[in-house]
Amino acid sequence: MAMVQPRSIRARKLGAHVALLGFVSLVVFPLLLVISISFREGNFASGSLIPERFSLEHWALAFGIPWERPDGSVIQPPFPVMLWLWNSIKVAVVSSVMILALSTTSAYAFARMRFKGKAPILKGMLIFQMFPAVLSLVALYALFDRLGQLVPWLGINTHGALIVASLGAVALHIWTIKGYFESIDGSLEEAAMVDGASTWQAFRHILLPLSVPILMVVFILAFIMSIMEYPMASVLLLDQDKLTLAVGAQQYLAEHNQRWGDFAAAAVLSGLPITLAFLLCQRWIVGGLTAGGVKG
Amino acid sequence: MASVTLEKINKVFGHDHIIKDVDLNIGDGEFVVFVGPSGCGKSTLLRLIAGLESISDGDMRIGETVVNELPPRERGVGMVFQSYALYPHMTVYENMAFGLKLAKTAKETVDERVMDTARILQLEELLHRKPKALSGGQRQRVAMGRAMAREPRILLFDEPLSNLDASLRVQMRNEIARLHDRLGSTMIYVTHDQVEAMTLADKIVVLNAGRIEQVGSPQELYQRPATKFVAGFIGSPTMNFIPARLANHADEGCQVDVEGIGGITLPQDAGHHAQGDALTIGVRPEHLTLTEATADNRFEIVNVEYLGNEVYVYLEPKSGETLLIHRSEAPSQWKVGQQVALAPDPEHVHLFDDKDRALTVKGARQAA
Repeated sequence: MAMVQPRSIRARKLGAHVALLGFVSLVVFPLLLVISISFREGNFASGSLIPERFSLEHWALAFGIPWERPDGSVIQPPFPVMLWLWNSIKVAVVSSVMILALSTTSAYAFARMRFKGKAPILKGMLIFQMFPAVLSLVALYALFDRLGQLVPWLGINTHGALIVASLGAVALHIWTIKGYFESIDGSLEEAAMVDGASTWQAFRHILLPLSVPILMVVFILAFIMSIMEYPMASVLLLDQDKLTLAVGAQQYLAEHNQRWGDFAAAAVLSGLPITLAFLLCQRWIVGGLTAGGVKG
Repeated sequence: MASVTLEKINKVFGHDHIIKDVDLNIGDGEFVVFVGPSGCGKSTLLRLIAGLESISDGDMRIGETVVNELPPRERGVGMVFQSYALYPHMTVYENMAFGLKLAKTAKETVDERVMDTARILQLEELLHRKPKALSGGQRQRVAMGRAMAREPRILLFDEPLSNLDASLRVQMRNEIARLHDRLGSTMIYVTHDQVEAMTLADKIVVLNAGRIEQVGSPQELYQRPATKFVAGFIGSPTMNFIPARLANHADEGCQVDVEGIGGITLPQDAGHHAQGDALTIGVRPEHLTLTEATADNRFEIVNVEYLGNEVYVYLEPKSGETLLIHRSEAPSQWKVGQQVALAPDPEHVHLFDDKDRALTVKGARQAA
């Protein structure tokens, strides 16, 4: 767009850039600080952004490698950080895939099918989702405690319980996907059905491939939520080798022994799967997939 | 290929009664056009035949099979949508092969059918393009090709040309007509454009407010419209309607007193109507003659449209809002502001009763 602009725009441009840089640094600074703390010698939260005394101790411990200090003492890794990370990834991947499957199929029903009580159910889901999940922790604990007596892999202290509990948060995703489905012309699926497709085939071969961008967005959102989830995981998981990274990392922060350096390394690690998932998914997040299909 | 039979078909959406007691026979290999104003139910009727909507009441047969409960995929129909509805993520080839692949057709057969269809529609060059890289006319042809590739028994068209510009529309209209000659399959075509209906159809079905007004060949509908609605809908410019009263029954027909024009004798049988009953005469623009104005027959010319080969003269009616139209070959001597008398040609005047039904000519066989 090469529109004619008044001269004063240069000053305004400069101002806008300064403001934006300020905003970006506001976002990036805490992240840089965490990285800095993880490479700093000792376990202190305060200090300068560029480490004065560089050390890999916290990272070695996070990766489970014993660390020998210059004075000859050997520090054993206090916690199984890599196991926690693996637990987090496992739970996040399984629950995100299940959330995606559930919310996509439900969204299809809400977007395309006529049935009684559609509007109240949709609104109801959104309203129930507004209650903080933390308030129902007691109920969740009681439910899974009981469930565990019948189905062991769904009891307290299992990843199954955590995954099933996280499936409750699909309402928002259903709304998101439903909105996207509704933007796709229904005549595409009708054409497929006249062409010989069943409802499922029209959904699978026509609607789903056209909805990949929104499915990826929902997957990433669900993944991030699961990786960062704390309250439910802290109540449902008990044993140290079952914990997710978000819960486990808190153990570095015991009341009288706050190991900020080790904590920072674990925190940076927990960002890793999110970044990876995003990098994998982003090439599917493109616009214009439905271009040219319908006219008018 | 197959025939389609509709018996007392009804469709109700909530409180809206869209299709009312439609009876219709569509013969094997016929080209039938559903025509009517928007909201008359013509697209709904097509969707009922396709199976995209369920029938509320009545029976529908394709060939000998009752299809009331059959999903679209089991009806053996192909459909061209108004929006084309091409699958945007597939190439032209994949679009056309989609239905065949779903039917688990052998790969060689799929290839053969798609190539054959592409040849008929001149799509061979475009097979590996995605829909977004095609022009409107090309998309239209792909939509037709996709419907044809499965060799359905019946081809359905839902206003397929309404998104094309005028010249392309005429061209595609010709292609569809030739396609029907070539394939010989049963085709059902929905349009609001009476020119498309007239030029394409073996049989036109005029719909109005969910009911069939008249079924007949284009010629029948043009020459012997059964109702005032059909008379006004078919033909362009539209037929002139002028209020009249029955003056007298006559041996050879009846005499009517036409508002602003005076008494004329018509060949229609006024039947049970009494003297003084309100009637309406209908005259096509080409069947009006303009002459010197007289004291009782005086109309003012309010507009003259010159179209090159012909001229439309618009006249102010004595009552009502719609202008009367006279059509003649160019050049024309008429000017805006002139006062003229109207003389309808009695041979070509249609007569409608107060319920908008056409009265038939005495002695003539009942209009089909």
